[in-house]
Amino acid sequence: MSDVALEPTRRAQRGRRDRSANFYAYLVVSITLALFFVLPLVWEAARSFQPANLAAATPRGADFTHFTLGNYRAVFSQEHILTNVLNSLVVAVGTALLTTIVATLAGYGLAKFRFRGSGLAFAAILLALMIPFQAVLTPLFIELNDMHLTNSLVGLILVYTTFNLPFGVFVMRNTFQQIPQELFESAEVDGAGVMTTLVRVLRPLIVPGLATTAIFAFLYSWNEFLQALTFLETDSKLTLPVKLFDIDTSTYGAINYGYLSSGIVIAMVPCIVLYLALQRYYVQGLMSGAVKG
Amino acid sequence: MNERFDLAPVLHPGGQVDAERTLHRAPSSARRRRKARTGGLLVTPALALIVAFVLFPLGFAIYISLTNWPLIGPYHYIGLENYRELFHDPEFLHSVRFTVTYTAIVTLPIFFLGYGLAVLLRANRFGSKVFRTLFFLPFVVGLTTESFMFAIELQPGAGWVDWAMSHLGLASATQAWTVTHDRTLLTISVIVIWFASGLTMLILTGGMQGIPRELYEAADVDGASWLKKELRITIPLLRRSIALSLIISVIGSFLAFNQFFILAQNNASLETVVEWVYQTAFTSYHLAYGTSMALLLVIVIGIVSMAQFLALRGETEL
Repeated sequence: MSDVALEPTRRAQRGRRDRSANFYAYLVVSITLALFFVLPLVWEAARSFQPANLAAATPRGADFTHFTLGNYRAVFSQEHILTNVLNSLVVAVGTALLTTIVATLAGYGLAKFRFRGSGLAFAAILLALMIPFQAVLTPLFIELNDMHLTNSLVGLILVYTTFNLPFGVFVMRNTFQQIPQELFESAEVDGAGVMTTLVRVLRPLIVPGLATTAIFAFLYSWNEFLQALTFLETDSKLTLPVKLFDIDTSTYGAINYGYLSSGIVIAMVPCIVLYLALQRYYVQGLMSGAVKG
Repeated sequence: MNERFDLAPVLHPGGQVDAERTLHRAPSSARRRRKARTGGLLVTPALALIVAFVLFPLGFAIYISLTNWPLIGPYHYIGLENYRELFHDPEFLHSVRFTVTYTAIVTLPIFFLGYGLAVLLRANRFGSKVFRTLFFLPFVVGLTTESFMFAIELQPGAGWVDWAMSHLGLASATQAWTVTHDRTLLTISVIVIWFASGLTMLILTGGMQGIPRELYEAADVDGASWLKKELRITIPLLRRSIALSLIISVIGSFLAFNQFFILAQNNASLETVVEWVYQTAFTSYHLAYGTSMALLLVIVIGIVSMAQFLALRGETEL
């Protein structure tokens, strides 16, 4: 649709060719690929509304004629999954908020203030960017245990925040660097303090950076599995992914795949909704290139 | 430099402008010191967290790895014994070999599929934005959730994988997808390729959008073939994005845990390095031994990350 950059005559030519074979080939290939990427997710959503026993039977078209909320009702009443969903929500929102605040302050400090040790501070933060949490899992467990922060949502939030900080600081520092120096200086001349400047003057300008930092931190914490598995113990403290693991490896007889499928859908929805809403900021963060797989 | 003085009268109509300007041009040393202190204070929370939960544990890890640290009870210094033992531990060596094999299997398919998707949608035609979003959704949902999803769908006889594969004539009905080594590895690799190629697509798309369209038009005038344009224009100009996407994907594969832990729990032949660390430290409680391996991981990932950092710095050859 946006061949605008081509000059008129060629655009017309190109346009006509586009509408013909070439364009339809593109559409067919893209739609096929879209089905390949999305159908498994859609299928799971449909699956979660099937009666639980069908999850262990051969799939048939007829299975999708009677939808039920049975899995959702059961998973909330029998598996107490509501607690785990709330835990995940608390951890994800808490991490997103804390990461955004701490990263904003640090990004502001590193971009706009000159002080002794600022180079060292930035180096330490970059170093942290290169250390995967998997590498310090054991010492971190011992340390958190000594601080009584294992089996604690607060402990998890602190750890998740820390591992999201290097990326967040990187993003916020770039954000502040792009703001013209004059703005800071005129605010200062105006007599505004550091915090007033940040909240009153700069806020609208740093919203994209804030959104990028927040969405990465949220998705990271909502989906994180290994640390939650290691640091949390009791059922009432588990986040959703670890709870799903417990359902999947249920020691009480057969695994209830109906429960599992509804739990999976509950885990999927916030990611998709948030991504669709904040896609622009997510992609911006990705392009800044400081993301670890 | 001039604009900043032009702003002052606007913000300060009349009055103290001159005094303020002087103040501004030559900040007193007290003011500079105060500003420096503020800068330090702003960075402190971030630094405190990073020291507490990254740098301190890292130093602590080095210390632990030189002892026989148990879960509880006394411990003592044993030098490099843990490291020596590692290189004679068949289980550990197997997990390293397995992780490398897995990384070798998935990296190129993820790259080529991601590249293909980026090329397909590069022209910004009707619907390309929507398709881009759809192709990226598996990455957004996350591999943990999707591993549970496939735990259901890979059931022999009951999941859609069996059903679809037998209807496509690719397998006879009722296959055990996650029992034998080879088939499990293949199955998980396909899932990971499905999950991760959207990320490569987005990274490469970002790079492609920075390539001036005139280059392609000039090549068209010269009658260059599609392949020639890719090899001569796209790939050289995309070097940074290509390096970035490959490095991210290699690090991700090296650190693989969730998909194998969830889908191949009972299969020791499919144990990745991180799984081995987790099992050694938290199932067998050989905390020190597991930690020494984790430190080797820091070195490997550090080297790969350093390469990433240099690639991002720009003009470095990679």
